[in-house]
Amino acid sequence: MYDVGMTVFNGLAWAMATFLVAAGLTLIFGILHILNFAHGGFFMIGAYVSYTVMIALGGALPLWLYLIGAMVAGVVVGLLGWAVDMLVFRRLRDVDDAYSLIATYALLLLCGGVVQLIWGLNYLGVMPPPVLNSVIFLGDMFMPTYTIFIILCGVLVYVGLELFIAKSQTGRLIRVVAADPWMAQLLGLNVKRIYLFTVILSFALAGLAGGLLMPNQSLSPELGGIFLLQAFGVIILGGMGSIRGAFLAAIVLGLIESFGVYFFPQYPGIFFLLALAIILLIKPEGIMGREQTA
Amino acid sequence: MTQIMQARAMCKSYGPVRVLENVDFELDEGEAHVVIGPNGAGKTTLFRCLSGETRIDSGTITLSGSDVTALEGWQRVKSGIGRSFQVARIFGGMSAFENLIIAIETRERNKNGLRFSLRHLAPRKAVLEEAERLIGELGLEHTSDDAAENLSHGDKKRLELAMSLALKPKLLMLDEPTAGMSPSDRAEAVRLISQVRDTYGLTLLLTEHDMEVVFGLATRLTVLHQGVIIASGQPEEVRADSRVREVYLGQH
Amino acid sequence: MIDYRARFRINLAIALCGLAVFAIVPFVANSGLVFLAGLVAINIVFGLCWNFLFSGAGLLSFGHAMFFAAGAYGMAVVSLRMPELPFFLGLAFGSACGALIAMIFGYIALRRASGVYFAVLTLAFSELIHIYITKTTFLGRNDGLVGIPRPTIDLGPWVLDLTSATSYYYFIIVAMTIAAFALWCFQNSPAGRLIQAIRQDPLRTAFLGAGIRGWQLTAFVVSGTIAAFCGAVMVPFTQIASPEIAVWTVSTQPILFTLLGGAGHFWGPAVGAILFGAIAYGTRAMQGLSDITVSVLLLTVVLLIPGGLLGLWQRRRRKAGGRQPGQAGDDARPGTAAGKVEARQ
Repeated sequence: MYDVGMTVFNGLAWAMATFLVAAGLTLIFGILHILNFAHGGFFMIGAYVSYTVMIALGGALPLWLYLIGAMVAGVVVGLLGWAVDMLVFRRLRDVDDAYSLIATYALLLLCGGVVQLIWGLNYLGVMPPPVLNSVIFLGDMFMPTYTIFIILCGVLVYVGLELFIAKSQTGRLIRVVAADPWMAQLLGLNVKRIYLFTVILSFALAGLAGGLLMPNQSLSPELGGIFLLQAFGVIILGGMGSIRGAFLAAIVLGLIESFGVYFFPQYPGIFFLLALAIILLIKPEGIMGREQTA
Repeated sequence: MTQIMQARAMCKSYGPVRVLENVDFELDEGEAHVVIGPNGAGKTTLFRCLSGETRIDSGTITLSGSDVTALEGWQRVKSGIGRSFQVARIFGGMSAFENLIIAIETRERNKNGLRFSLRHLAPRKAVLEEAERLIGELGLEHTSDDAAENLSHGDKKRLELAMSLALKPKLLMLDEPTAGMSPSDRAEAVRLISQVRDTYGLTLLLTEHDMEVVFGLATRLTVLHQGVIIASGQPEEVRADSRVREVYLGQH
Repeated sequence: MIDYRARFRINLAIALCGLAVFAIVPFVANSGLVFLAGLVAINIVFGLCWNFLFSGAGLLSFGHAMFFAAGAYGMAVVSLRMPELPFFLGLAFGSACGALIAMIFGYIALRRASGVYFAVLTLAFSELIHIYITKTTFLGRNDGLVGIPRPTIDLGPWVLDLTSATSYYYFIIVAMTIAAFALWCFQNSPAGRLIQAIRQDPLRTAFLGAGIRGWQLTAFVVSGTIAAFCGAVMVPFTQIASPEIAVWTVSTQPILFTLLGGAGHFWGPAVGAILFGAIAYGTRAMQGLSDITVSVLLLTVVLLIPGGLLGLWQRRRRKAGGRQPGQAGDDARPGTAAGKVEARQ
């Protein structure tokens, strides 16, 4: 029983950390139909920015300052998103899928280069705030508070996004544009502005995720790639562009991964890839149904 | 007269929409069989099912006596079908000449196996000559080295016909061969199609909208209405059929 | 009409010129540069075989590192664990490993996936191979396999001594010239023409009587085998097979070469690989600068000159001297260069 509980807990931790990264990725894919490789890169920049803020404020911080650091990261990266939309994404509308995929990869490379230039190649790291640096015992299960915090963040971001898309005025506009941009244009909606807003929101989410997940990582210029692969798996399985799908897919893949590692501890990181390949073969359109041709 | 193609009890639905219901269809050797029907009657679906572009949900299709129901389109092509599409499909980045070379080489590969050898990277002499002959026969000389995507609508249709002929089929299936053409181009297309039918001794299966084309070419007419065949026979008989007049010709 | 003979001769001449230029390098440059040139030569063919898949067959692979690594580890295992086997058997074994992986994963990936799905599936497979290597003791885990010897080849009356870096360098450039030209021949054979046709319109090709998936798999296996051959040839040169060559960033290298040089032209990746090598060498002192330079260049190419450098050059030349006859097959066509790779269901 203990093992099952712990394995599920670990699976959820994997799932929510990945979902935090995947949320913005799936948003851009749903609206702009661009599979954004650079997302991992901007996630990484978010982590570095929040690291810099925390170091500037003196290292071991109370919870609220750590949260402010993450917010700052979100805002900074959101602004970068504004620049990226203006300079790059806007020009990718008429470009072939393969080429826009490669353009976003170039952006990822650029992020890696900039991070190396500013922060260097060394591993950096910072401790989580003291409140999040302890362990809760539940029966004989021990659960790090930081992990619980991340799971909560994942759920919060999911609920927030769902409510935003479903209830708010802007959310409704986004849905219209996602369904049929041509029609939206015809109805007189400012499609460009909605695209821009989506990109900024997506990037801000990437920055925020970077800031939130940073204390758990050792920061290095390779950080971008690690979460990116998992997030790719999640949004593809989730049905490309569906936030609910990404949330469910994250949980499914997280549980598969953690149970896989429980039974074969020598192969971490392999099971979600295997599961992804197998599920896609059976149901290529993902778990949220509708066939997407991006 | 021998039957070249025979379909029994074909059914096909897209989701909840039933497009073909229990359709029986046969095609005699040497005839020019035209399928007509109002928009949405299922002509194109029938065409796709017979050519193998989509699978039927139930029923059987035989081609020259052998069951091809389970075969994909490219496998059916091997037993003597050539087909065109409503919007001409050609290899846009290549010249008309290269388009034909690919068609001829594919036929040769299927017939005798085209062996890979360093001496024969370039198309063989016989292939080149055949391609040139077809270009002349269909009046495509003026296209020479242009990329096929830049050809005129009529030239694209002719090129596609030439590619289908290059396969040396017994049965040629043309999906709306004159769609989008001007009246004078239509007359020219009809002339060309009957000419290749005579020279190659082909069996034809067409779907068509334009009545002049239909009566200019057909030796047999089949009328499809809401996924069901309501009449089939000599053009004059079908023209006289009261139900047909009601559902189809009555609209014109 | 197309002059096929002239095309053959021109491309053979290009390959031989390349060989000649690379052959001069050891006379004019220090050993560091010779080492770099050897890697560039391997990268050229790595890029060419990726572009064969991309521009030739319309398949976007983000997983070519798995083939490269399969070839490298195949070669390393043979020369370390079975030193009595001849060198060429190691090369063959390495290439066969790549072919086998391409066959298995290609069969799975091509069954349902296309376009972006295909790209990400290859990425996932490649990462599987990477993790497998880092966790397998037989393959040296994270340390890789080190100390791979360079061979001496017994050719009856002659013995070819390739133990020095320079002599092995010559072996590399000859092997790569042969591989590149073999690839050119395949791409310009009837089979290559058909694969090209499939990229332009799969449905049309099917109704000429060709099985699409079979030919796409063939293209995938050919490309994978050549990538594995590149890996196998590299290993005795660097004398190490480390898991780093299986990381997904290695898969993106040929993409960079191809896009920089020009995807629409057969030799585009060669130009890109040389340029890339030059950038890496020129910016080696500055951390991160090479990534920044390459990425800015890549963005410029994708956004402004989708034909790559060769495409740009060709357009210039055409403007200057009118259209060159008989070049239709070699032209850069930015609009169609990638084909529309989305799902066509």
